[in-house]
Amino acid sequence: MNHITRTVRSPVAFSVLAGVVIGALFLVGTGADPVAAYGAVLGGSLGADGIGATLTTLTSVLGLALALAVPLRAGLINLGGDGQLVLGGMAAAVTGLYCPLPAPLTVVLALLAGMAAGAGYAALAALCENRFGVPLLVSSLLLSYPAASFASWLARYPLKEPGSSLPQTRQLPDGVALPRFGSSTVTVGLLLVVLAAAAYWFTDRRTAFGYEMRMTGLSSRFAAYAGVERGGLALRLMAVSGALAGLVGAIGVLSFPYRFLDGSLTASGYTWTGLTAALLAGAAPVGTVLASFFFAVLQVGGLSMERTTEVPRELTQVLQAIVIVFLAARLRFPRSPGLTRLFRGRDTEQTPQTPQSPQSPESPQGELA
Amino acid sequence: MTPPSPADARAAAVELRGIAKRFPGTLANDAVDLTVRRGEIHALMGENGAGKSTLMSVLYGMVRPDAGSVRVDGREVAFADPGDALAAGLGMVHQSFKLFDSLTVAENVVYAAEPRRFGLVDRGAARRRVRELAEEHGLAVDPDARVGDLPVGLRQRVEILKLLHRGARTLILDEPTAVLTPTEADALFAVLKSLAAQGRSVILVTHKLREVLEGSDRVTVLRDGRVVAGLVTAETSAAEIAAAMTGRAVELDRVHAPGTPGDVILDVTDLATDGVRDVRLTVRAGEIVGIAGVAGNGQSELVEALAGLRPVSAGRVALLGDDITHASATERRAKGLAYVPEDRHAVGTATAASVADNLAMGHHRTSLSSRGLLAPAAVRGHARRLIERFGIKAASPEVSASSLSGGNLQKLLIGRELAHDASLLLVEQPTRGVDIGAVRNIHDQLIAYRDAGHAVLLVSAELSEIRGLADRVLVMYEGRVTASYEKAAADERTLGLAMAGGGAGSPAAPSPVEVGD
Repeated sequence: MNHITRTVRSPVAFSVLAGVVIGALFLVGTGADPVAAYGAVLGGSLGADGIGATLTTLTSVLGLALALAVPLRAGLINLGGDGQLVLGGMAAAVTGLYCPLPAPLTVVLALLAGMAAGAGYAALAALCENRFGVPLLVSSLLLSYPAASFASWLARYPLKEPGSSLPQTRQLPDGVALPRFGSSTVTVGLLLVVLAAAAYWFTDRRTAFGYEMRMTGLSSRFAAYAGVERGGLALRLMAVSGALAGLVGAIGVLSFPYRFLDGSLTASGYTWTGLTAALLAGAAPVGTVLASFFFAVLQVGGLSMERTTEVPRELTQVLQAIVIVFLAARLRFPRSPGLTRLFRGRDTEQTPQTPQSPQSPESPQGELA
Repeated sequence: MTPPSPADARAAAVELRGIAKRFPGTLANDAVDLTVRRGEIHALMGENGAGKSTLMSVLYGMVRPDAGSVRVDGREVAFADPGDALAAGLGMVHQSFKLFDSLTVAENVVYAAEPRRFGLVDRGAARRRVRELAEEHGLAVDPDARVGDLPVGLRQRVEILKLLHRGARTLILDEPTAVLTPTEADALFAVLKSLAAQGRSVILVTHKLREVLEGSDRVTVLRDGRVVAGLVTAETSAAEIAAAMTGRAVELDRVHAPGTPGDVILDVTDLATDGVRDVRLTVRAGEIVGIAGVAGNGQSELVEALAGLRPVSAGRVALLGDDITHASATERRAKGLAYVPEDRHAVGTATAASVADNLAMGHHRTSLSSRGLLAPAAVRGHARRLIERFGIKAASPEVSASSLSGGNLQKLLIGRELAHDASLLLVEQPTRGVDIGAVRNIHDQLIAYRDAGHAVLLVSAELSEIRGLADRVLVMYEGRVTASYEKAAADERTLGLAMAGGGAGSPAAPSPVEVGD
């Protein structure tokens, strides 16, 4: 009972609920039926027609959410997800096109190449901070643009498919593709990403490295005092982060349309959806999975809602935004005495003051859904 | 100095009646009555968490009480914020000063109540005003000095001038002497007494018994949110106040028997780092070496350099005979160093993490893990053992460290570091802001650690603590070790003078003993 109360009162559940309620008010205000609209979101994303698209979207969103959660757990923000994603995709495409090995081996190599490219590029951002003192936030973001431009140039000139009017590479040879589940668009990529989530959970809860990562996120001065070296930690976490982003890029290229098409990997803005999911979950492993699922449902369900009702899918973006605003506001509540009184029953413990200090692992976002 | 006329005859400047304030899980104030009369210095005492800060926040309009009334100069008031309180003649000097370092003294004093001329700030008038106030109250300070350049003692004067400029008739001072040398503290009390003699009232929030006995007229003691004693200073004693604060008789200022020093564990030669120069010192096994000094004379920098958290620019540091001058914090810990830092909230612990996670730090790569795997059960078991061994009061190992009281958080921190069984322990301010009851426990732990054959380097701003624990006392002044005393020679007066820079201008200044091994 106590557990349930705590879950309901958790800021995450509260923010999501507030988003849904305010979204309903928007709907009523525009003359739409909120029940029908929300029904369309759920039916369109979780029904038989939509679940495939939702799981495909989840593959990318969860992969990128993990990529951003890993450094965020230690209080570091990787804003270069797009660049790492694109380089990973391009590395996979090049491997897929030119690797002389049999197709299954080529697929494995392409995945590894994508991860290596993303890892190396993200590590470069960490090195910029460690060696030259460029804040990670800046170095990771700024390095993202040349990476995207470089991949774009490759797709437009040296690797361009002859005769095509699109900035894209040739299609990968037959068989160089991730196996799919039945006739759906869901690939083995989803399994890889879920495995990554499991590995993240294990590292976070059960290893000394995960412990250092969490403590650095909760208090970087505490971790430094006890001898955790931030530079080394940042380098390793960024490499993992970049590898995950690169993996998502490689999965994207090794699925339909089986080629690198300039701009297609980043067009949906999954990097930012992933960052939002990681922030929402305070980078906690289980929470990140649930938040990613939540956003995948919104993304796919929103399209379906637009088709079946008159409500534009932008509403789901409004919903997302409201959830985030509430969550961000929650982080500031304890500073105002009036609001502290109001929220007293809710937050008896000190809530973290910044998104970089994620909630304690025991916090109930695990029971969000 | 106590006013000859009985203070009871005077009118109340501030009257709090039946103040109650509940925070989640605690009743911070429970029907608290406090009357401060005009012209008196009234000390408000109590251990951490006794409700002093809450009571002062209620009075100053920062917290709204659940019940009770506040009267200032006989009129009932309900302040919405500190601005209201100031307008009603109530002013507070916070423990951390609220000043603009880059502005001048005059600019700081008149801030938010500037003398104006043609709609512009009249700087000439501001300077004159500061000079007048300074002269009137004996608070000499240069109106044109930049606040950032002033020593803390003078900054405190600026804070007081600011309140006087705003017409404060009652001044609340929160732990005003925490950052002052004994001489500066004496000067502060002279000022407070003259303010009281003019009919102003002073509320002194403090835990220092000596100051209360020397500088106050009456004392109110809080414990667990209630008033447990209202005493007239002239008729009470340190023991009585301490007993009221803790609820039991406490042995104050115990001086422990000296240890039996063995081999040299820490050997520092000509060490220099930011704000520290030419420091030579040794600490032997079975010995506590105390470093006395007013805050900001390089003690923190020295300890950070020894702990590997601050680069050393010159000199040599050897631990157990091995050069560790440029070793990382991790390497030093592996070699045999444990460290209790001054700031236990921001550095020594992660308050958002659980008690178990806090206790695991530093042990997580050694005794608690194998091949990089850290079993949650091992972390919990380790936490349970330390909680029991060091008497840490925590509901369970899983609760967040922020739920612990200051004293228990410190026990957690000290327990974790002692559990390393390291040859050398660096301890900074082990009992700052800790209950008297916990102080005793912590001191006993440190003595037991020494007697088990470990070396301890202790930095403390509390002279009684240094004198009680240390086998040798070094005094730091302006980044150097300026004096060294054996336990017997380290009396409070001698140390106080050395801390103020060798007692310049005082013929009784001792010639500092050459620092040796």
